Amino acid sequence: MADKQKHLPLVDGGEKKMVTIAFFVMLALFTAATAYTQFNPFTILKEQSTFWNFITQDFLPPDIAKAKGLWSAMLQTLGMALAATFIASCLAFVFAFLGSGTTAPYPWLSKIIRAVGSFTRNIPALVWSFILVMAFGIGTSVGLIALTVETFGFLLRAFIETIDEVGSESLEALNACGADYFQKLAQCVIPAAIPGYISWFLYCIEVNIRSSTIVGMVGGGGVGLVLMIYIKSFKYHVAGAIILAIAAVVILVDLTTNWLRKRVLV
Amino acid sequence: MSKPLIVEHLTKSYGPGSLAVDDVSFEVKQGEFVAIIGPSGAGKSTILRCINRMVEPSDGRILFEGNDISHVQGKKLRDARRRIGMIFQHYNLVYRLTVMQNVMHGRLGYMSTMDGILNRYKEEDKEKALKLLNKVGLLEYMYKRASELSGGQKQRVGIVRALMQEPSLLLCDEPIASLDPNSSKVIMDLIYELTKEWNISCIVNLHQVHVAKEYATRIIGIRQGKLVFDGPPSELTNVMIEEIYNTSMENLMINGEVRAVG
Repeated sequence: MADKQKHLPLVDGGEKKMVTIAFFVMLALFTAATAYTQFNPFTILKEQSTFWNFITQDFLPPDIAKAKGLWSAMLQTLGMALAATFIASCLAFVFAFLGSGTTAPYPWLSKIIRAVGSFTRNIPALVWSFILVMAFGIGTSVGLIALTVETFGFLLRAFIETIDEVGSESLEALNACGADYFQKLAQCVIPAAIPGYISWFLYCIEVNIRSSTIVGMVGGGGVGLVLMIYIKSFKYHVAGAIILAIAAVVILVDLTTNWLRKRVLV
Repeated sequence: MSKPLIVEHLTKSYGPGSLAVDDVSFEVKQGEFVAIIGPSGAGKSTILRCINRMVEPSDGRILFEGNDISHVQGKKLRDARRRIGMIFQHYNLVYRLTVMQNVMHGRLGYMSTMDGILNRYKEEDKEKALKLLNKVGLLEYMYKRASELSGGQKQRVGIVRALMQEPSLLLCDEPIASLDPNSSKVIMDLIYELTKEWNISCIVNLHQVHVAKEYATRIIGIRQGKLVFDGPPSELTNVMIEEIYNTSMENLMINGEVRAVG
C-alpha cells in the first residue's frame, strides 16, 4: 500500500523543467568556455610542485627590511583611496539629486546624468589609469583621478538608488505642508537616505584600498608601483613582504569599516 | 469667508476613456466636518488630492478661501498648500527623524528656503508644537525617532504636523484604515475635537460608514467617480448606502454594524 502512494510534486512541473534546462545550458557554456580558452582544470593539480616551489623558494621568507619606501608608499595608496572616495562621494551626492526620479527637477537632465554615470562606471579604474598615464605620465595624481572617475560613476548609481528607495510617501507629506524643493531635500530625502549614503561610502573605501594598489601598479603611484618595481627587478622576497603588508592593511581597513558600520548605522 | 472651499465640476481622467472623478461639485463651510464615503477605487482619494493639487485636476475649478487655485504654480501653490493640512493613511512621516522634527515640518511652508534647510524654526512655533504634542499625549516622545512609535502614535504625530500649519482646511485620507479599533477611536476623536476647537473645516475619506455617521456633520457619497449623495447623516438611509456601494445591505453588514469596506 505504502509504496503505491501517489507522488505529489510541490512545484509546478514546468518550473522543474526550466531548472533542468538551465542546468544543462550552464554546463554546455562552461564546457565551451573551457575548450575555447584551452584551460585544463587539472593543470593546477598536476603542476602544483612548480607553483609551490616558486612560492616557498622565491617569495618566502619575506624580506621586509629591504623594502625601502614601503610605508610612505602605503600611506600614499591609502591617501589616494580615501581622497578619491571622498571627492567622488561629494560629487555623487550632488548629482544624485538631479539623477533620481524622485528628486530630478528635469527628466532630460536625469537621463544625461545617468548616462554619464554609467559611462564612467563601466570603464574600470585600471583602464582610466592607462589612459591618464599616457596623457600625464606616472604619478599619484593619475591614480587619484582614475579612482575618482570610476568611484563617482559607481556612487552616483548607488546614491540614485538610495534616493529612489526613500519613497514618495513622506515627500508627499512635505509637499502638502508647502515645503519647497531644497527644504524637501534637507528635511526628508537626506535624513532618509543617510544610512544608504554611509554604507555605500564605506563600501567604496574598502574597494578603493584594493583598486588603488592595482591602479598603482600600472603607473598610478603608491605601494602598487613599489611592488611592481621589485617584481620587475626579480626581488621576490621583498615583493612577498610588500604583498603581505598590503594584505594586512586591507584586512585592517575592512575591520575598521565594519566596526564603523555597526557603530554608525543603527 | 463662510465657504473656504468650493469644488466646481471637478474632473480627473487618467488617460482617455477612464474618469477617476466625473464632474463632482460641492462646497464646504467653515468648521464643517465632511465625510466622503464610497467603495474602493470610487475616486475618494483622487478628489481629496485634487483639492491640494497633489493630483492635477483635468477639468473644473477649486476655489480655496476665495482664490481659484486649480492652476496656480510655485510660490502661490505652496502658499495655498500651507493653509491646507493633510493626514495620510500611512502617516507619511520621515521615520529617521524625531517626533519633534517631523512635527515642525508643518511650518516649512511659512519659512525661507535657508531657514527651512537649517532647522531655524521660531521658538514660539516650537512651544506651540510642545503644547500640541502634550494635547495628543506624545510630549514624552518628542525626542523619539518616528520609526519607534506605534501606528496610532504615528498618526497623532501626523495630526500635530498638519495642525502646525495653522490650516483652515484639513484633508484626511483614510486616517484610520491602518489602525486597530481602539486607536481609530482616539484618532477620530482627536481630529473631531481639534478641528472643532480651532474652527477648521475638515474632509475625511472613510472606509467605515458607521464612523462617518457618528462624526460627520455632512456626508458625501461617491460611486465610480460621480457624486451620488450629499447631505446630513440623518438622510443617509440604508437604501442610499446600497446605492453608493452598489450592493445589498446584507453584504455590508458585520454583526449588525454597517462596516462597508470601501
